[in-house]
Amino acid sequence: MPSHSASIFSISTGSTEPIYRQLVSQVQRQVAGGQLAPGDAMPSVRDVARTLALNPLTVSKAYSLLESEGLLQRRRGLGMWVADIGARKGSSATMRAEMLRPTLERAAVEAAQLEIDPKTALSIFAKILKGKR
Amino acid sequence: MNQLLLEIKSAYKNFPGKPVLNGVDFSVASGQIVGLLGRNGAGKTTLLECALGLREIEYGEIRVCGDPPNALSETTRARIGYVPQQTDLFEWLTAEQMLAYFKAFYPRWNDAKVGALMQRWSIPPNRMIGKLSGGEKQRLAIIRALAHDPDLLILDEPVAGLDPAGRREFLRELVERTIERETTVVFSTHILSDLERVAIDVAFMKDGQITLQRPLDQLSERVRRIVGPTDLLARLRFGHELARINDGASNARIVALCDDQDELQLQSLKTQGVSIEAVTLEDLFMEVA
Repeated sequence: MPSHSASIFSISTGSTEPIYRQLVSQVQRQVAGGQLAPGDAMPSVRDVARTLALNPLTVSKAYSLLESEGLLQRRRGLGMWVADIGARKGSSATMRAEMLRPTLERAAVEAAQLEIDPKTALSIFAKILKGKR
Repeated sequence: MNQLLLEIKSAYKNFPGKPVLNGVDFSVASGQIVGLLGRNGAGKTTLLECALGLREIEYGEIRVCGDPPNALSETTRARIGYVPQQTDLFEWLTAEQMLAYFKAFYPRWNDAKVGALMQRWSIPPNRMIGKLSGGEKQRLAIIRALAHDPDLLILDEPVAGLDPAGRREFLRELVERTIERETTVVFSTHILSDLERVAIDVAFMKDGQITLQRPLDQLSERVRRIVGPTDLLARLRFGHELARINDGASNARIVALCDDQDELQLQSLKTQGVSIEAVTLEDLFMEVA
């Protein structure tokens, strides 16, 4: 199984996105895109912290979040690994659907505020999905 | 709750004709890494100097590792490392002589670390300190402050005289050996990108007061800049407003630390010509410091 170096990460300062979030979304993207495959070893917190000159707590925070999302697994004494698909919470399709939820929740709030009933809102969304205006 | 290594309660100090500490409340718990931000003249250096007993406050209370700064115990002294903004002391000694001199004061002195850093940061050990470059002096001051493995490290613009490579080297050292030892760090800086890399908490100082102290991640995720029609914004109230700017124009802006309820309120305003943005640390500095 390949093990990855800290160079899978790159962060930018001066962003509105906190650094731990940047690390999280880079792993999410690379897992989705297959650059990080199940069973791959992740670089250690220490390596990432040293390479990117980051506080190790920031890196641990990202790793813990990814672990709770089921994308990474901690193996005692061995560090972090990309989780097997079977071990992830739900299939990857439901996971991707979950990623859409916050946007839809915001849309639901706005729909309520604009007094648009659910049926109308859903039909607008259906049209948008089909690419019509 | 972790033990407080630094505790400052309503500290006041005046310079002739000008208050410089104007009721500072500031505390740092064991293990925290706090970046101290503020414009020139906001009082950062004075605050750090008062905390170390190099200056006295006129009113208020300060405790460093439990001791008052004007009566630090030997034990407390040995636990503190300090890099001042400017170091022009010991100019007539060589780096080696100066370090040997300081070693005598500390029960714990890490020779291996000092040797490794002197070499890695290419400090000539036998040249008079007065003849070293600004960057070399600054690196030497950092080595001196790290040499006795302090529990509380106070850094006043530690990287101001260093080039980007030197800054990165210093950050690595801070991250690897200092933060991993769970050293508590307070550092003032104007270089926000460095602060973002290593600080977990930030404190903003303005006009002699600490105006905001929060985890950095919370500020990125929770602070919003709201720009919209002045009359509409005038009716808005937030639990934790950081700035409200009405410059007489038709648009005003508010900077606020928003909770979930504030976010909901804001979502409903998006259709009324109000824009809501996340802010970078630099934006925040411009608004609140």
